[in-house]
Amino acid sequence: MEGQKHRHKHRHHSHGVQTMDFYAYQSGLRQWNGSYKVLSALLILILCIGLNDIWVSLTVIVTVGMLNVIGNRVPFRQYVELMKIPIAFLVLGCVAIAFGISTKPVGEYRIYLKWFYFYMTKADIWKAIELFFKALGAVGAMYFMALSTPVGELINVLRKAHVPKLIVELMNMIYRFIFILTDVQGRMKRSAVSRLGYIDFKTSCGSFGKIAGNLFILSLKKADTYYDAMISRGYDGEIRFLEEEKKVTFVQIAGMAAYLIALVLIWYIGR
Amino acid sequence: MAEEIIKIENLAYAYQTGTHALAHIDMTVREGEKIAVMGSNGAGKSTFFLNLNGVLQPDEGTIAYRGKVIGKKDLNELRKNVGFVFQDADSQMIASDVQGEISFGPMNLKLPREEVKKRVDEAIEYMNLNEYRNRPPHYLSGGEKKRVSIADIIAMKSEVVLFDEPTAALDPLSAEMLEEVLAKMSAEGKTLLISTHDVDFAYRWAERIVVFCGGKIIADGTPLEIFQNEAVLEQAHLKKPAMFTVYETLVEKGLVEDGSYPRVPEELKGVLK
Repeated sequence: MEGQKHRHKHRHHSHGVQTMDFYAYQSGLRQWNGSYKVLSALLILILCIGLNDIWVSLTVIVTVGMLNVIGNRVPFRQYVELMKIPIAFLVLGCVAIAFGISTKPVGEYRIYLKWFYFYMTKADIWKAIELFFKALGAVGAMYFMALSTPVGELINVLRKAHVPKLIVELMNMIYRFIFILTDVQGRMKRSAVSRLGYIDFKTSCGSFGKIAGNLFILSLKKADTYYDAMISRGYDGEIRFLEEEKKVTFVQIAGMAAYLIALVLIWYIGR
Repeated sequence: MAEEIIKIENLAYAYQTGTHALAHIDMTVREGEKIAVMGSNGAGKSTFFLNLNGVLQPDEGTIAYRGKVIGKKDLNELRKNVGFVFQDADSQMIASDVQGEISFGPMNLKLPREEVKKRVDEAIEYMNLNEYRNRPPHYLSGGEKKRVSIADIIAMKSEVVLFDEPTAALDPLSAEMLEEVLAKMSAEGKTLLISTHDVDFAYRWAERIVVFCGGKIIADGTPLEIFQNEAVLEQAHLKKPAMFTVYETLVEKGLVEDGSYPRVPEELKGVLK
């Protein structure tokens, strides 16, 4: 199966979401209980944001990063690639926080632009840096969840958390259909490309529109066959699947508790 | 003769668009039969299967399962006992992993959890899918998807299994695997109906061939009877199987004696000795 894995990796190279989906399935923590993973990620997230301490944020970034690279078996380079997307947004947001505009010369650092000043105060810079790391830690915690728990399991966790059935079933169908539709769309696009449908901008727009329209008709048709196939296996209005029961071990709970306590301690000492 | 398992009488079905997909079908299926359903595209094979499976309900006529006429309330009885492997495996799969997918049918049968688990394990074993157990459908190849879609039905333990063009779009290795599975299912006494365009496959595998044309059954008999009937072949646009033609040519040229028709190359070798 190595060859196939490689092929998928290659194919999904440029699509962030699909790469994450792929890693979730081969994660080393795949056999851990889904609820445990989701709850842990949420608690780390809450502590990281709630404690509001740069050392806690840094600890979370490093430890969760290690968990993702070692535990979830995401190659380090790929993990950095994945982190780049949120980092780009964070940098833009934090720069906006660090800088201020004023007509008077205020702040420790400033640039004079004839009519007004761009200025920064030390406090603002520090705030921006803190915020940057806090958000990055939070993203890391969410990545831990996304990279260790396939969507199917995540949906099961939501089901157990008593999220309404309709939403849970819809999520399941939507998840499955994303891949079917991207697959069909990919095939239509390739066939359009092979007939010079993307030769220039104008033609591209036309082809794109036609593919989108076709995709709509096709999805209606597919929905019909899907319904038939479900009926033929006795579907009666409720979708049920067998869920694997994954036990939470004492070591896992103790480990997570210790980690969370350590975060609180770091915050307490640093105060 | 084996017991009747499905008896279809005067079955008619028309789609909402007004096209008559099926008109006055009479047919009896006996336990353990291996039936190939042939006919060109649009001849009504898929519609026939959907009716047999209880997904579509006939406009006229009846379907009886083991002597019991299926009414509107018994449709689930039919769906439970007659499994349907769809042509496009992708449109049969709804779960986000193989195990969940196979469990869908048994879960709908409202079986206890333990029984569902047992059946899923058996079906996974049967189709040799163990390494894919937790994999989502979108990371499976075409052949693997087909195997999962067959495991779906095996887990339901249907007595009759319908296959809609199972050999279409399969690579030779997967097609070989499919024939092995079919042989195994026959050995277990399952009744199999397969719709196919592959005359060579039908000739080699089937005990009985039913030919559809324009929503009607125009011929029903052993492969030999069907492929010797020029009129039927022409009407349904069917070609003769290669093995069949080779043998007839050999007989014509006086190279072999007229006798039992060989179905596979090995049998032909036996005849030539």
